Amino acid sequence: MSGGIARGRLAEERKAWRKNHPHGFVAKPETLPDGTVNLMVWHCTIPGKAGTDWEGGFFPLTLHFSEDYPSKPPKCKFPQGFFHPNVYPSGTVCLSILNEDSGWRPAITVKQILVGIQDLLDAPNPADPAQTEGYHLFIQDGTEYKRRVRQQAKQYPSLV
Amino acid sequence: MADSNTDDLEPLFDYRRVQPIDFVRIDDDSSDTSPVPSPKRRKIPDPDVVKIDDEDEDEVEVIEEEDWLAPPPMVSSNAYSNIGEDSTIKELRLMKQKLVSFAESSKTLSLEEESVKRKVSASLKSSLDAAVEQPKDPSSERAKIVVSVQKEDECKHFRIYMDDKFERLFNMYADKTKLDLQSLVFSFDGDKISPADTPASLEMEDDDLIEVHVKKR
Repeated sequence: MSGGIARGRLAEERKAWRKNHPHGFVAKPETLPDGTVNLMVWHCTIPGKAGTDWEGGFFPLTLHFSEDYPSKPPKCKFPQGFFHPNVYPSGTVCLSILNEDSGWRPAITVKQILVGIQDLLDAPNPADPAQTEGYHLFIQDGTEYKRRVRQQAKQYPSLV
Repeated sequence: MADSNTDDLEPLFDYRRVQPIDFVRIDDDSSDTSPVPSPKRRKIPDPDVVKIDDEDEDEVEVIEEEDWLAPPPMVSSNAYSNIGEDSTIKELRLMKQKLVSFAESSKTLSLEEESVKRKVSASLKSSLDAAVEQPKDPSSERAKIVVSVQKEDECKHFRIYMDDKFERLFNMYADKTKLDLQSLVFSFDGDKISPADTPASLEMEDDDLIEVHVKKR
């Protein structure tokens, strides 16, 4: 039953997204090799905010929804080794609104998740580090941190 | 409400007006084909008659046997009577018959002409009808959708056919925004839209959003 709820909600989320979403963002359920759509995994793109060091980058993010969605938040993953203080080495994003025990609410939409993560990119939370390198550079070497962020943005150019 | 009802009814009447024309065309075809055998029947005896005067009776019989079903008895009786008469009368009769056959052939020609004319006009009509119908019929089948084209903050809406190439929308958009088409990139679901794509080929739905990106130089 909960699976039905998750899929029903995700179908609605997808419908709403197709009709309206912030510019530069992509969010679409994965299509399996046999052509069927898997609503439980979404492939997304988050554009770096204009006017920040992240500008020009289009960062791939994968949302993994469980059968317990929307009671539980999806797991949001950048590619492995993504450079950001609040991203685990595995790529998993650490953000309060994505934490079941903290800020997650079932009413939070996919759009809000993606915009929330875009905000996080240029506004890391030093109180909640998830990787050593990004955290240390952010705290200790602002110039080098900036350089790394810009370099990473170039690694993920627009696909269109 | 009443207005919308009459609006609904009118196209129905139009269709009825169109349909009888189709039926007429079918009738025309059958009437066109029916006169065709009769001129043939008349034409067949003509060579017989000519031959009868030049050749012997034996050959006449042979010829008659060949298509004894086709010529009506009148012609053969004519042929028999011809043989007994003297040459001037023969010639006169021959001339007369030739004239008659000419007249008949001209009649059949005119008939054929008419039938051809009718056919042409009918086919013209039907093709015109088809031309009138086609944009009507597919418009109900040929689905239209509204597509939003989003550029940064502003959003424009376009109504396009599902099987319309995006090329058209791109041009429309460039015209409307006075932007250089070469600098615009359109994307749907993160994928670049090719000018040859159609909403149908991208499985788009009504109200779908496509994005336009302006290339920086």
